[in-house]
Amino acid sequence: MPLDDLADLSDETLLARYAVGDRAAARALTLRLTPRVLGYAARLLGDRGEAEDVAQEALLRLWRIAPDWRSGEAQVTTWLFRVVTNLVTDRQRARMRRPAAALDDAPEVADTAPGALAWMLERDRMAALEAGLAQLPDRQRQAVVLRHIEGLPNPEIAAIMGIGIEAVESLTARGKRALAAALAGQRAALGYEDEGAEP
Amino acid sequence: MTPQDMDELFAEARGRTASASSALLARVLEDAYAAQDDRAVVQPSRALHPAPRRPWAWLGGLLGGSTALAGLASAAVAGFMIGVIQPPILSEVTGALWSPDTTLETVELIPSLDGWLSEG
Repeated sequence: MPLDDLADLSDETLLARYAVGDRAAARALTLRLTPRVLGYAARLLGDRGEAEDVAQEALLRLWRIAPDWRSGEAQVTTWLFRVVTNLVTDRQRARMRRPAAALDDAPEVADTAPGALAWMLERDRMAALEAGLAQLPDRQRQAVVLRHIEGLPNPEIAAIMGIGIEAVESLTARGKRALAAALAGQRAALGYEDEGAEP
Repeated sequence: MTPQDMDELFAEARGRTASASSALLARVLEDAYAAQDDRAVVQPSRALHPAPRRPWAWLGGLLGGSTALAGLASAAVAGFMIGVIQPPILSEVTGALWSPDTTLETVELIPSLDGWLSEG
């Protein structure tokens, strides 16, 4: 079956097809899920190579559990994010986390160049965001990424992190405040000087 | 950074989908196919190694099926009940074969057998 015909199918339906040997479903799920899992892992780990390993491992677990997948119990992405969260936590516990990238390590921002291209500004903003996220405690980083970047609702984040909704709200709020404080020194350089006034 | 700045920054990040390299996609897809192939191999081999059967199923198979097992069970129950109840008709047969002055050695359960033996 062409991949286009599978685009409208839910993850769960594709997984059921995969479980009975459908190669096209395997391709569709790989193309659909790998970037999401990789992006989440990369934001938690701050290391592309490690994130690729985690993404591959998480998806391997999905392939293995597919025949036993119980329909309606959880979304496939929720399950995957939870696996990634646990894999990342295991890695962070297994080794002393490498020194977090300091904001000073972020690429220099050409704040004196009035003609800086938009894509350069966006690149610098993303680099600063990654560096700021790296400074957050692990649980705050997970909550902030899931809430504000992955755009998941709090109950789903609670299921992924294995905590209550109130704890999610607390982690998210504290993480966002800490991130804002970490980036405050670069506000003008990141192009926010004319877009809003400080409160 | 104001809350608005943060929301804008998060929105930009949300709009950037991580691009998985073709090498990673190939590895993930290879895993997916391998898991499918493993299951295709494992499932037939399960038939060669069936799960242990329950004792009754094993005994029924040994004796010729569930019908034979049911017959054997019925006979066992009937024998037990005859022993417990001791119907009068059976007591009379027993009394005829084994009167109070009969010793164990003289009991003949098949009285006509000697005649058959003597005829050769």
